[in-house]
Order: sequence, then structure tokens, then C-alpha cells
Amino acid sequence: MPEFFINGNAVQAADNQTVMQAATAHGYFIPYFCWHPELSVPGNCRICMVEVAAEGQAEGEGWLDIACNMPVTPGLRVFTDSAKVRARRKETLQFVTLNHPVDCGICDKAGECKLQDYHYAYNGAPSVSLDAKVHATKHHDLSSRIVLDNERCILCTRCVRFTHEVSKSHALGVQDRGDHSLIRAVGDGAFEADPYSDNVIDLCPVGALLSKANLHQTRVWYLKPTPSVCPGCERGCTINIWHRKSEWRLKALDPRRNARIDRVTPLDNTAVNGPWICNKGRDLARIFERTRATQAMLKGRPAELQQAISAAQALISAARQPVALVSSWASNEELASFKQCLGAQMRCFVKSDCQAEPGERLQDALLIRPDKNPNTRGARALFDALPADASSAFPADTDLVLVWGEGFSFAQLPPQARIIALNSHLQPENGHADVFLPISVQTERSGHYTNFLGVTSAFTACFQKPQGVIDGQALFEALAVVAELVSP
Amino acid sequence: MTGRKLIMTFPVTATSHGLADYRARGGYQTLARALREMRPEQVTKEVLASGILGHGGAAFPAGRKWGVIKLNDGQPHYLCANADEGEPGTFKDRWILENAPHLLLESMLLAAYALQVRHAFVYIRGEFDLPYRRLATAVEEAYEAGYFGTSVCDSDFACDIVIYRGAGSYVCGEASALITSIEGKKGYPRNRPPRLTVRGLYQRPTVINNVETLANVTAIVAQGGDAFRKIGTAKSPGTQLVSISGHVQRPGVYELEYGTPLAAFIEQECGGVLGGARLKCIVPGGISTKVLTAAEIQTLSYDHASLTAAGSGVGSGGMVVIAEGTCMVRLLQILLRFYHHESCGQCTPCREGMGWMHRIIDRIVAGEGRPEDIEQLARISRANDGTTICGMGDAAGYATLGILAKYRDEFDHFILHKRSKFGGRLEVQEQALEQEGTHA
Repeated sequence: MPEFFINGNAVQAADNQTVMQAATAHGYFIPYFCWHPELSVPGNCRICMVEVAAEGQAEGEGWLDIACNMPVTPGLRVFTDSAKVRARRKETLQFVTLNHPVDCGICDKAGECKLQDYHYAYNGAPSVSLDAKVHATKHHDLSSRIVLDNERCILCTRCVRFTHEVSKSHALGVQDRGDHSLIRAVGDGAFEADPYSDNVIDLCPVGALLSKANLHQTRVWYLKPTPSVCPGCERGCTINIWHRKSEWRLKALDPRRNARIDRVTPLDNTAVNGPWICNKGRDLARIFERTRATQAMLKGRPAELQQAISAAQALISAARQPVALVSSWASNEELASFKQCLGAQMRCFVKSDCQAEPGERLQDALLIRPDKNPNTRGARALFDALPADASSAFPADTDLVLVWGEGFSFAQLPPQARIIALNSHLQPENGHADVFLPISVQTERSGHYTNFLGVTSAFTACFQKPQGVIDGQALFEALAVVAELVSP
Repeated sequence: MTGRKLIMTFPVTATSHGLADYRARGGYQTLARALREMRPEQVTKEVLASGILGHGGAAFPAGRKWGVIKLNDGQPHYLCANADEGEPGTFKDRWILENAPHLLLESMLLAAYALQVRHAFVYIRGEFDLPYRRLATAVEEAYEAGYFGTSVCDSDFACDIVIYRGAGSYVCGEASALITSIEGKKGYPRNRPPRLTVRGLYQRPTVINNVETLANVTAIVAQGGDAFRKIGTAKSPGTQLVSISGHVQRPGVYELEYGTPLAAFIEQECGGVLGGARLKCIVPGGISTKVLTAAEIQTLSYDHASLTAAGSGVGSGGMVVIAEGTCMVRLLQILLRFYHHESCGQCTPCREGMGWMHRIIDRIVAGEGRPEDIEQLARISRANDGTTICGMGDAAGYATLGILAKYRDEFDHFILHKRSKFGGRLEVQEQALEQEGTHA
């Protein structure tokens, strides 16, 4: 535990820490572009220069070196904001912005760009250069998902190191040298195939790497993040779902944009996913923004929600051998509520709502897990798993099956059984149920999932549920009222 | 005139680079004796005692570098000869590789023995063709004669050597970029710490020495470190191979004992300035060292202490003679074009700064210079001083600041009159010289 000094204050560093790590851990801010806690240290941006003073030297008499590659030694004296350091930062920012297009006005990164922030904090001066800027490729497709602007790129190589050290696809590299260096993907499509490729968009400290899906869609200051959990697999990565702030609600244009997932970013969580998520997590809109089921139905005919609930109550009270198939996408709260309200008079099994899509990576050493449901562990803590041969779950005299969630074909059910179906999305099978009840999706309610490691993570509602849709918990409580009346 | 010699000790003939001639000159006897009579640490002790400074440019004491390697620490050590001689004006290692490759190999074997190196590397500049062929032939001859392999000179010391050809990058002559290149990666320099003698090639302790530094090891071991130390001056023991070029009557490679008077060497040994013109200035040790004016070198002796005191350095021994009437603005333009072209692009100040300086000087030469450009060049140079991963940014800055400080008037003239004070000349023009009556 070496003790050293930052700006004259004693700081306890952990063994083998660098000045950057120790300073960050103790709340001292040193600016950086290329450094990242999870990646190797290339020391190439040179913005983290701090002043080191030898014994007997005062502030201003020391020498400058980069904090990210400086091991802490006992008694080391470091100044993070001396006049010398500030002057150096200013010079370095002059270099960084020399050929940078400063097109913040049309850059998606504006508002969360390190270069922008540091410019205002440490430079603020216009470019010293009066020469024309050197131009480079403005729009280079690195993959079908990511576009690269070489003029904005400051060659910090975070993206390159990510593909070499984290995703292991080795898909990116630096081509050519000097100020005509370019980030490029290798020719064999490895970057296209990298399921973690979108992390480089977050990693990019400037607006060089941008998501094509979100290109020029919105400014980040109109958005706010809501903490959530990715339901894409049993890893349950913690994420931020970014959606439009209510004070910036669009009144003209397309009002659907007010309730849209604008982007998904990782929510740093060492217990589950660290600072990364996979591309499936980025595409949650594809899961949640499928056409919603908003209309309750009785045998395929539209019905009032209340009417449908009454019909379901009647079916449950009349059933002698009811079976329930519980969703592995349900929150722990919904599952507990179901168990409490209906668990006593129904045989309950946990079904797998989602399977891997064709071509989807099944599992790997980084994050992706084979079970593509978020709360299988939470559900199985309360209920049995549905046997591989689903028909063995249904006794011969099964007269009612409650199917909660998607991914289960009604053809597997005993022909005489009546069906109550709970689903969020519009699917043909909904109409085949005797009673169909539309329920809310994850982004419209709050709750918890328990991932395969047993770590429980919370998600928070981002949007209002559509008219005609009911939360699972409210529905089970409504159904329970009847169940209590019937049971002795 | 130039003092004692350690490397250029034999007349160059058609066969003098071969194994037979080298043996006839007593070659590989020092190695055989060292393997018989000395322990590895004794060899290092001799090198440390010799006080030899690195000949690649930084002048770091080789013995101290070797001393960092811990023997018997259970991990492999590596030795690399830096034959990526890329500093403009420098071609002295080329002389060794072409004419005395076995001297390098014997010295590398001694170094490998001293440092417990099983695998040694030579990183040779890609543009070197004859030097590469001569070295490759020498390696084959040495293997056949049993100087490399599992039993060097029938002892139980084993050593193999690999020649690795570069692909034309100046920066790969920097030690850490060199090993990164050998590892098969893009030749980017690495940050220190860790030092390469702690974690170098393949993350193992590695010693990287310039070809000339290594070539001296045989002489050091043969005559003993203390005897070697008596050659040259107290602070610069030994000799320096100087490659002299530019506006000089007899360009080429000369071996100078440290302490030789500099002006006399240029005037007498090298025949003075081309066409009898007056000397304007010299670049003493590769373009990354600061220029020294004719007046400054009159009293200088050629050694580290003397040149450092004059604000420059021995550097890599690549001396460039510049005649009176040469346009220093054009000269700086050529230097900056080189640095711009060779910047590896890894770290910000050099990547952006080299191109910036190049564009400014191009503009000045095109007649569109502004008075503030000179200060801007100096500012970029200073902003590269000590702020980059390797020394390239610093080197470009030194070269620029040196020329700006001493020939500021030529820049002012160029910017004010939109043309060169000397007609943009880089060559010595006999006629012009005669007209000006500048014959020496």
C-alpha cells in the first residue's frame, strides 16, 4: 500500500497501481482519451500528462509524464493541475484539434464527447493553425452497423484494442502511419461477425465511430437513460435504455418517437457484464417494439379487458385440473405474485420463452449465454421446469392451461383443455386462446431479474403502457380474488 | 591524424569480409578464449570497465545496460543488434555489415555469452541489400564453422541467430519499436516503464545495441576494458565511425578516435568542402542533432563532452557538411518532409506536429509564409520535447530549433521577400562560387 501525494494530499494507492488508477479511485480527475480501465495502456493520446516533482522540487519545477503509465512509488509527488500541466494540455489539445473537423453541430457524439468537454475545460482557444485542415474519409463503413469518420478519429486505438483484448475478434487495426493513419477493419468480415462490435461506439472518445441505426436520429441531450436489464440471455447484463426526456416530448413529427428506445448502452457492473454488452442488447428495440397486442380477446373476438378477466376467472374457478406455463421473462415480483395468487391451485411449470435465432451466437467466454431468457433462474427458484417432453406436464384430464408469455405452440396442449393466454405481442396464436389477455413488457414496468449466477438486477419502467394492456401483477391479483372464493 | 583504430583495422579487398580473411586477422580467437577462460559476468565487467557509450545516438553506457540483466533468473534473455540504420546522413553500420560482418557476429556471440542469450537477433534495415547478403553469408559461414548452434566453439554454450529484415520504417530503429516489429506487430514504440532490459522482446529481458557498439565488444574483450578506456578521451572512450556526406570533397566512412580535432578532420582528412567553397555549418551526428556553424566547430574536438557542451551531440555519427550558399529553409523543408513521412502516428504531438511543421515550411517555401510561422515552428518543436513515447518528436524539434536559432535571418528573408536568400540552392554551384569569389 504505497502512500504518495497528489496535489500535496497524501493518497493510499493499492499495490501495482498506476497514478491514473490511484487518482481515479480517490476522486482526482486526470483527463484521458486512450486510457480505459479494462484495456491495455498505449499511452498515445498524451493528454493525461501530470507533473512529477522530485524531492526538494516545488510545484512547477518538476517534469511532465503520462499518468496512465506511471507506477505509484512511495513518496511520489504528482501535480494534476499545475500551470505547467495546464499549458501542456492546451498544447496537446491544439494538436488533437489540428485536423479535427470540429463539426460538433452535426456530430452524434456532441454532448458526451471527451474532446468537446476537454476543449471547453482546458483549451477554449481557437486553433492556432491558419492552414487548411487535412481531409480524410468522412464516411467509411466498418460494418453494416458501424460507420467511421476518419476526420474525427484521434487514433486513440481504443476500438482496436477492444477487438484484440476483449472481443478477441482481432477485427480492427491501424492502416498506414503518421497523420494518414486510418482505423480499418480486416478484410475477412471479422468485424461484421463480431457480436460485441457496437461497444467500440461507446469506447470512442470522439464522434468517429457511430451507430448507423442511430445516425443523425436525435441529439443526446434530448435523451435520458433509465437503468434496465437486457433480457437477451440469462447473463442479464445491466444496461441503460435511452429514451426521449418528457420535457422534450415531440408534439409534432412522429409522436411514436416519444416512446421509442433510442439506444441501449451498457451500465457498468463488475458483478455481471463489466462495461460491455453484446449487439443483441443494442437491438432491444427489435424485441420490444414488435407490434403490440393491445386488445383482449375471447376466442379471437375482441372483448373489453374487464370482460376477458371475468371470463378467465370463470375458467379458473371451473377447472379441476389446471396447469400453468410460467414465463421465464417474468420479473421476480410477478413470479412471486403468481405463486401467491394462483400457485396453490395450478400445477406450474417454467417454460423457455425464447430460443436462439438462426445464426445467433449460442455462447462464448465473454458474456453470451446459451439460455436466451433473462429470468430462468428466478422462475425455477419458485416453479419446476417444463419437461423436455412438454406433453408429460399435462395429465390426461387437464382441462385448463394458462400460457404466460410467448414461444409455446398451443398444438402441444391436450385437445380438450381450455386456454388462457397472456402475451405482449401480436401473434396469430393469441386468437386461438379461449381468453387472451394483453400484458405489459419490461420497459413498461419495474422489477428484478435473477441471472444464471444468482445476481439480481433491477429494471425500471421507461414508458407508459398502451391503453388496454394490464401488468402481470395486477392481473394475477384480480384472478386470485375468484380463486380464493372457490378454494375451501 | 584520426587516431587509433578498432574496427577499420584492415584494408578492404574483394574477400576481406569473408570468414577466411577474418580468421587470418585473428578472428573468433577472442570468442574461443572467452569461452575457455571467462565467466559470463567477467565479460560484462570488461564492457562496463571499458566505459563504452552506445553508438546508436543516445550514448547510453552499454555496460550499464548489460548490467541490468540478471543472470540465472530462470527466464530467457534476448539480444538484438540494431542494424536498422535509418538516421539521415548515417551509413556507418552499413560499413561494418558490408566489410566486417564476422566482427559483428563474434561480438554478438560474446554479448550472448555474457548475457546468457540463447537466441540473438539482427534487425536489419529493409533497404540494405548488399549488407544483408554479406551478413547472411557470414551467418551461414559461421554456422558451418561451428560458431553458432548448440555447441559454440565446442563449448557447452549454445546460441542461434536470426536475421530479421525491416520493411522501411525509420521509427523501427527505435529499440522498442524494433522489438515490436520483430514480434510481428506494427512497429510502434512502447512506453517506459517497463524498460526493455526488464521486459523487452516477447516480454523478456532484452538488450538492444547498435551494430557499432556491439562490434566494439570483441576489441574490448580482446584487450581488456581498462586498455580500451585509454583510447579516446576520459569521458568518451574508444572510437567513432563517422559517415560524412554532403558538400564534402571525400565523403565516406572514417574511424575517428574520440578527441580528434573536428575542423581539421573535415578540412584535411575529408578534403574540405566541395568545390573549395566555404563551410557554412555541419550536422554533426545525424539530422536529429543540432547544426553547428563553421565558427563553432573551429575549436571543437570530436567527442561527446565537447559536442554536448556546444549544444549538439555525437549522435549516430552521421555528419553532413553544408557549404556556404546553401538555403537553410529548403534544408529544413527536406528534414521536416522526412519526419512527417516517418512519424509512426501513434502519439498525438508527433503525429499531428510533424505534418503541421511540414505544411508550414512548405507554405514558406511556396512564398506564402507569415512572420508568425517561425514562432509557430518553434512552438511545435517545443511541444514535442519530451512529450512523445519515443525520441522522434524530440529529434525533429531539436533539428528545427537548431536551424531556426542559427539561421533565423534566412527565414525572415524568405517570408519577407517570398524567395530564398540563396536562390533555394541545396547544391554547391561552382560558377556561382567563382562569381562570389568564395574560394578557400
